[in-house]
Amino acid sequence: MERLHFRDFFKNFLYDLEDFITIYENHLHVFNYQKLTKLSETNIILIVKNMEVNITGENLKIKQMTKQELLINGKILKVEFAYV
Amino acid sequence: MSRDKIIWVKINTKSYYNILVKLNDIGITIYDNKFKKDYILIETKYEDYKRIKKYLVSYKISIYESTGIDKFKEIFNKYIVFSCGIIISIVILFIANMTVFKIDIKTSNKKIYDIVERELNKNGLKRLTLKKEHFKIEKIVSKILDENKDTLEWLEIKYDGLVMIVNVTEKTQTKKEEEYPNCNIIARTDAKISSLNIYRGIPLKEINDYVTKGEVILSGSITHNEEIKNNVCADGEVYGEVWYKVKIELPFKETITKYTGKNRYNLNIKIDDDKYTILKSRLKQKKEEEINLYKLNDFEINLIKEKEYVKEENILSKDEAYNKAIKLATEKINLKLRENEKILVKKVLKKELNDSTIYLEVFIVTKENIGVRQVVKEEALNDNKHISESNE
Repeated sequence: MERLHFRDFFKNFLYDLEDFITIYENHLHVFNYQKLTKLSETNIILIVKNMEVNITGENLKIKQMTKQELLINGKILKVEFAYV
Repeated sequence: MSRDKIIWVKINTKSYYNILVKLNDIGITIYDNKFKKDYILIETKYEDYKRIKKYLVSYKISIYESTGIDKFKEIFNKYIVFSCGIIISIVILFIANMTVFKIDIKTSNKKIYDIVERELNKNGLKRLTLKKEHFKIEKIVSKILDENKDTLEWLEIKYDGLVMIVNVTEKTQTKKEEEYPNCNIIARTDAKISSLNIYRGIPLKEINDYVTKGEVILSGSITHNEEIKNNVCADGEVYGEVWYKVKIELPFKETITKYTGKNRYNLNIKIDDDKYTILKSRLKQKKEEEINLYKLNDFEINLIKEKEYVKEENILSKDEAYNKAIKLATEKINLKLRENEKILVKKVLKKELNDSTIYLEVFIVTKENIGVRQVVKEEALNDNKHISESNE
């Protein structure tokens, strides 16, 4: 993970977590997601392990993206989790 | 191009979200992205660029090279530490260059030094302050001169690098006439008087009289019946005809310097008295003109303009040599002349020519101010008084 959030990378290394989601002001960082199912200005749906993560917000944009990580930028209003 | 290199890729599209989903599907790493009206810019690996080209065939995809201000921003951000260093250095250099580090008041008189220093301080010209504009300096100079009419005659303030040089001339108190109760106007040289303007004193000579060096022309002693009634300081202008015999020997062959028009520029650095030239000069014979670019105490950077010249030998004709010799003789005399003085007559007395040189003797008559003031000492005055008393 060359340039994506060193802090989170080390946090993940120390906690030894397989996946996690971190919410900052106007940012949302997802580590180890499996699939990006929906992407729009107000809604992003991701599959993380066996859960569907539904992010609702305004002016949502993908700031950085790798095979494992996503950094979403925008006004985040709601994050919902549902087992799939 | 290295495979690991990070590049900006331009993809023509109007849908930001669709393209990102597609890029996600093919597993592209995006480090940054910017969406414009008709295209999206993504920062990715060169390897991923190849993959985008391979899978997203319906899009127009190219490597984005920034130009103009964007390119400048990119370079600036890439070398941010270096760029900031350069900017800070320039700012420091600029501020340092605009600052006065030393004030050099050119006078040996302590009293004048203190007055000038006090006046400069009062007008905000101090050490470690910013240099002032020329018109402000001029205002300050005239203000200081106005306020110190009795002590300062002339004042000049100029900047030389980081040093403010203050040239000052103190007012010389012209000795009052009372200090010279008796003085004469005497002849500076042998001459024939051509004009006489008497302001004070008794003339002992007239126009067309010949005088020898040291002879009194205007006397400060007012006499009546051979008795000295009063002593004054004689004053007046005495012009006379002065004669010169000028000898000139000039070779026919002369060496003249001719500029070829070829100029080169160079730089030199001076540290104390050592001088280091940056580039090797390619001109064989050259004249150098130095322009100071930067100066900090004993450290200087100068731009050198090197002008190439060649030396050529020129053989003068007899007439040319004759005219040149006359000109040289005239110049020699002109150097001695002051304001209102001029050459009246020029006459060649002797002319000798041989194979290589011309020899001339030129007689020149000039009109010159020949009168100089001679102060008569008190002892001489007392002697005169004593003589007059004994005569009585």
